[in-house]
Amino acid sequence: MTQQAPPTALTPEVQAMVGVSGDIVESWGVMDAEYMRRFTQALMDPDPRYWDDEFAKSTRYGQIIAPPIMVSYLASRIRPDQGDPITAAFEENPESDGIGSVERPGELPPVPTNLVRVLNAGNEIEVYAYPSIGDKIFFQNRYSDIRERLGRDGTPFLIITRETRFWNQDDVTLCITRASTIRR
Amino acid sequence: MTTLLDDLLNMEAEEIWKLNERPDADGLRAKEQIYYEDVNEGDELPKYIYKPTPTHLFRWSAAIENFHRIHYDLDFGLNHDRNPSILVHGSWKQSVAPQYLKDWTLPNGWPWKARFEHRAMLVPGDVLIMWGRVTSKYEKNQMGFIELEIGMKTQDGIESMPGTATVVLPLRNGPPIPYPFVPPAD
Repeated sequence: MTQQAPPTALTPEVQAMVGVSGDIVESWGVMDAEYMRRFTQALMDPDPRYWDDEFAKSTRYGQIIAPPIMVSYLASRIRPDQGDPITAAFEENPESDGIGSVERPGELPPVPTNLVRVLNAGNEIEVYAYPSIGDKIFFQNRYSDIRERLGRDGTPFLIITRETRFWNQDDVTLCITRASTIRR
Repeated sequence: MTTLLDDLLNMEAEEIWKLNERPDADGLRAKEQIYYEDVNEGDELPKYIYKPTPTHLFRWSAAIENFHRIHYDLDFGLNHDRNPSILVHGSWKQSVAPQYLKDWTLPNGWPWKARFEHRAMLVPGDVLIMWGRVTSKYEKNQMGFIELEIGMKTQDGIESMPGTATVVLPLRNGPPIPYPFVPPAD
């Protein structure tokens, strides 16, 4: 008797999601000194390139810079025109973790799979330029890769990679992040 | 000369903390350039030691507006999510990595890229060691590329963020690294 191969999780519908992009989003607000102060203090990075204007002018960047990855947090801030999803989440469910129901602008359509368990598979960051004070930040998500692997028991699962490019008002790419999740 | 990672992992947590090499503002201001020629395979980067407390976690949650209760609500973490305590954020770890690479390549190198996974749950009370080790180096387009193994280990040697990175250092008699950074064509 021949053994039947397990059904593939990488269906044509799933494969068709590779390259699908979300809307281009202009982040709310700008890169500002106060937000950067809070971020770099919480990161415990005392670099004077982030706050000492005179010193920053003497560096190769010629101005104050911001940590590259900060744009991803700036971009995910809840916009004031979004209402108050945190309060709403707790009103609907007191056991809420407070973030599950927050809609983020520029989100991608879901991958059509019945694999519902989500695990973090890793992150990547490529850095090309540092943001500066006053920068407007734009970003766009896309599915850059979806591949199938087999678990130890032969059950297929998916590794889905979402890529996000961040750029400024001068169309200078600041950084590209990739977040991969396992779907079992 | 940095303390070797293997030696740190043979020490008590309080001894590890004393060997923290995180630079202060003046250290970063006066950082001297490391050139490509200065680096050899097997070299270890300085060790950044952290002792996160609930206050550190709360401050990070507030700074990035991450309201997930597992990071500040101990009762929720223990009884709802069945975690061992409140948890150190993966987002904080993945923000330390580019900072670490930036610091090492200052003032004129470039922390080009990093990739890593999140593995262990970290909690207040852990002593964390951000580390890096040179695995190879090569020249291209008159720039010095350094491949690194990086990670963040606990005092018990548990690797919470295994990863790799590529940074760019100037050659001693080479041109400046372009800014914004332009990677060489494959």
